[in-house]
Amino acid sequence: MADLIDYLQFVLAPQALNGLSLGVAVVLMALGLTIIFGLLDVINMAHGEFYAMGAFLSLTLAGLGVGFWALLVLVPLLMLPIGWLAERWLIARVFHSRDRHILTLLLTFGLGMILEDLLKLIYGPNTLRPENPIEGGTEILGMFLPNYRLFLIGFGLALIAAVWLVVFRTGLGAMVRAAAFDKDMASSLGVPVRRVYAGTFAFGVALAGLAGVLLAPIYSVFPTMGRDFILMAFTVVIVGGMGSIQGAVIAGLLLTQVQALSSLYISPVWSDPLVFGIMVLVLMVRPQGLFGRLGHA
Amino acid sequence: MPEATTLRTLSDPGRAGPASRLSRLAPVHWLALAFLAAALGFAAAAWATGNGFYLRLATEALIFAGLAMSVDLLLGYTGLLSLGQALYFGLGAYVSALVLRDVAPSFWLAMAAALLAGSVAGLIGGVIANRVKGVYFALITFGLAQVAAKTVYNTRALGASDGLIGIPQIQVGFGPVSLDTADPLSFFLLVLALTVAAYAGLAYLMDAPFGRTLAAIRANEKRVPFLGFNAWRYKLAVYVLAACVAALAGALYPMLRGFVSPELMFFETSGNAVITVIVGGVGTLVGPVVGSLLLTALRSVVGSWTEHHLIVVGVIFMLSVIFLRKGLVGALLARLNRRGESGRTGS
Repeated sequence: MADLIDYLQFVLAPQALNGLSLGVAVVLMALGLTIIFGLLDVINMAHGEFYAMGAFLSLTLAGLGVGFWALLVLVPLLMLPIGWLAERWLIARVFHSRDRHILTLLLTFGLGMILEDLLKLIYGPNTLRPENPIEGGTEILGMFLPNYRLFLIGFGLALIAAVWLVVFRTGLGAMVRAAAFDKDMASSLGVPVRRVYAGTFAFGVALAGLAGVLLAPIYSVFPTMGRDFILMAFTVVIVGGMGSIQGAVIAGLLLTQVQALSSLYISPVWSDPLVFGIMVLVLMVRPQGLFGRLGHA
Repeated sequence: MPEATTLRTLSDPGRAGPASRLSRLAPVHWLALAFLAAALGFAAAAWATGNGFYLRLATEALIFAGLAMSVDLLLGYTGLLSLGQALYFGLGAYVSALVLRDVAPSFWLAMAAALLAGSVAGLIGGVIANRVKGVYFALITFGLAQVAAKTVYNTRALGASDGLIGIPQIQVGFGPVSLDTADPLSFFLLVLALTVAAYAGLAYLMDAPFGRTLAAIRANEKRVPFLGFNAWRYKLAVYVLAACVAALAGALYPMLRGFVSPELMFFETSGNAVITVIVGGVGTLVGPVVGSLLLTALRSVVGSWTEHHLIVVGVIFMLSVIFLRKGLVGALLARLNRRGESGRTGS
């Protein structure tokens, strides 16, 4: 019995908490992806590069003497116009074509490629390691936890709650949901649909950038850092239901737990195939995911 | 191939009368012939100057053109975007490498094994992927390829992240004559012949009733059952066909380079094939070949002065998506057509 408690306390619980800190970050990424898909039907293949961009921006700004707390505000603000322009210049161009699903996917794929190479050009291919903004650790129930991870969990959860509030409890969110449900009707009721599209895309991009700022101190920063992470975020969005907010949250927390806990029993190198296997299975059995999409639930 | 045009049974909404169909089709094949002539000219020039490097590079471009053609079969003719075609390419490469290294150094055995593996894997993958449509199809093919690539990457028996090395050079026998894969020129000519054969065969098939049904699925899948066709069966068939083409192309890779690595299965490879098809010309089959050679040349030229060729390729790719919906070959064909039509009305 004592063995079991020890096992829970010293093996399972720390791993679960690690998974949780990764989970909230994945959810932040997935929220951007899923909102963009729910509203615009766009699979944003460049989302991982926007995340990397956020991380690199935070490094540059920190080098200029901007504090960590200011970065949390400044980087998303800087990402907003980038996302806005990406929507207006690229997505909007092919939005009314018959194959827009495929065309927007291809466009964002090309954009991601360019952004990744630009980051390589500017910062070099090497791995950079930013300083940990919140040093030290706290002992909870005999487990030692880095303070930064605790902060990440708390801040992430607060942010997820804030996104939920904005989408479901404000006039702005109502406009977004209305445009997602029926863009023509929303437009005739006075919703500026085009601006809502660009704004939503920019919002998703800003969230990705923020995730980059938050994760930079834990994982190192390098130009291709978005690649592995985006795959997880895609899986989360698919399992949760493309365009579903609660789906992204639940699937994000669940899948990162699966990944974290499974790495106790199988070699961590197999956790990727496992997660992708889950993605393929969900796509086969229930392609619409666990929950309904934005504006339709 | 004028006989092929008469085999069109289903009418394509994009094309008007039989006369315009003929004039529209012929330039594609003329383009293919012009391309073949240029390739032979290139081979002669490279042979005369004794430049093996560029022959090897061109051979690699043709091999990846095979992969791009298989993407074009799905995207250009059936309207299915596959983001995981590298799965079958890599499968063919690994099977061929294993056969050549461990079983027998026989070209035909390696190709047959790759074909078999490609059809079996394509059948399994096709049954899985064709459960869904549109973006979900793109994502499920992506996921399947990721699972396979990571599995190969983690499997010690397959060389894990290092891949398999030491694939022997072989003699390819055609009855009394045989040619050596170690010789850049003969292997280039062999791959060129295979590419031409693949083009001719696939172009014929796409003009046959099979291809017309695929075009109907692309235009409006919901109406296809009303015409008495089982859309699912056709989509599965073209998926298996594409997998086989990709596997055969992949099987040539270890003969050229002497090794295979898990990168062949990664998303970069699948993504590059999609880029090749879009830049070259969707739904033309020549387009992927032209695109592959152009992009390989571009990478090698740009790569000689900067390692950041992805920016250049990415910009060209995005411009193609926005402005050239049918790629370079499509734009060229449209010009040729316009000239042909104005010439006819003028006379």
